[in-house]
Amino acid sequence: MIWEVFRQNQAGDYHTHCGNVHAPDREMALLFAEVQHGRRKPTNSLWVVPQEEIGEVDTEDAKFGGTTNKSYRFARTYNVEPAAEEVEASEKELTEAERKRGEA
Amino acid sequence: MAAADDATFASTDDLDEAEQEAVQDLLFRLADDELVLAERYTEWQVRAPTLESDISMANIAQDELGHARLWYEVLKGFGYDETDLIWERDADDFRHSTLVEQPFAEGDWADAIVRAYLYDVAEDIQLHALKNSTFEPIRDRVGKVLGEEDYHLEYATNWLERLAADDEGRENVQDAVDRLYPYALTLFEPTDEEVEATIVERGLRGEDLVELRDTWHDRVSDFLESIGIEVPGLDLPDQYDVHISPDELPEHLGRDGDHTDHWESLLDEMTEAYDELGRDYATHIMDDDE
Repeated sequence: MIWEVFRQNQAGDYHTHCGNVHAPDREMALLFAEVQHGRRKPTNSLWVVPQEEIGEVDTEDAKFGGTTNKSYRFARTYNVEPAAEEVEASEKELTEAERKRGEA
Repeated sequence: MAAADDATFASTDDLDEAEQEAVQDLLFRLADDELVLAERYTEWQVRAPTLESDISMANIAQDELGHARLWYEVLKGFGYDETDLIWERDADDFRHSTLVEQPFAEGDWADAIVRAYLYDVAEDIQLHALKNSTFEPIRDRVGKVLGEEDYHLEYATNWLERLAADDEGRENVQDAVDRLYPYALTLFEPTDEEVEATIVERGLRGEDLVELRDTWHDRVSDFLESIGIEVPGLDLPDQYDVHISPDELPEHLGRDGDHTDHWESLLDEMTEAYDELGRDYATHIMDDDE
């Protein structure tokens, strides 16, 4: 049985998928994951999830975000001068998020 | 044990001659057990039942090597260096129990797990008896070692529960227990009765070997019986001098320097590269722990 493993670097972070382990049950999966995925990287917590319990939808099945222009979903689409302070804050947030994504 | 209440030894300089001998004896028991067991564990690399068990076993071996290093480092305070302690030491100067030097039969995973279990329970009990050791360098290291031991015990018990879940597995576990139990008893044999008496009198270890063995036997029997495994009783003689040795002891105890033939070949294998390269020093690739 395959268990997908999710690692959290430090408290408050998201658990991020980092690989899997073969194990007969949850208890053994945790023991194996502890060594296989927690021994060389900073680890605060690990989750194990039976692979078969994970649901998936991908680009073959779905058009994520739709196919038509829905840029109104993003606050910066509203080019009104001067921008409302909420819009400005939202825009800053978005730019910052994009910058971080670019770095990562 | 009266001395344990007020006396405490901050370093090797505070020990008299008898205490020096006792502390060294205690450290050699601890360090040699860990070193030799780790060396045996590594034989399972790429041979364990699954990749995951393989990596876990290797990880446990690395932990035990780390513990051996912690204890050998304290021995350096008595003037030894690593070549004296490991690479150039004679086989019969090693003080480990003959439990840890026994070879594994090919593919006998039950043996590895039973051995790990018998050893880890003994280590756990022993470490707790060292928590209040009057010798500070030992006392200070106990927490670090115990921190890694929980995993070892959990690993061994979880495996045992699963191995003993069907008839074939239970039989393999029972065979391993029958075979290894007498060797496990040597964990609690003194290296020397007089030195052992000093270890207890000066509070270097909080309990004597007989007390440790009783606790170990109860704990091991309770658990193994709960998964359908029979554990031999302890047959103790009516007459004894200082230490009470059970009748079931194997021919070679290890603690007294008398080992089975397997040890010499294992040591040769361990030191083969060192010997072949004509080395007279130990290579260091990382800093000491403390």
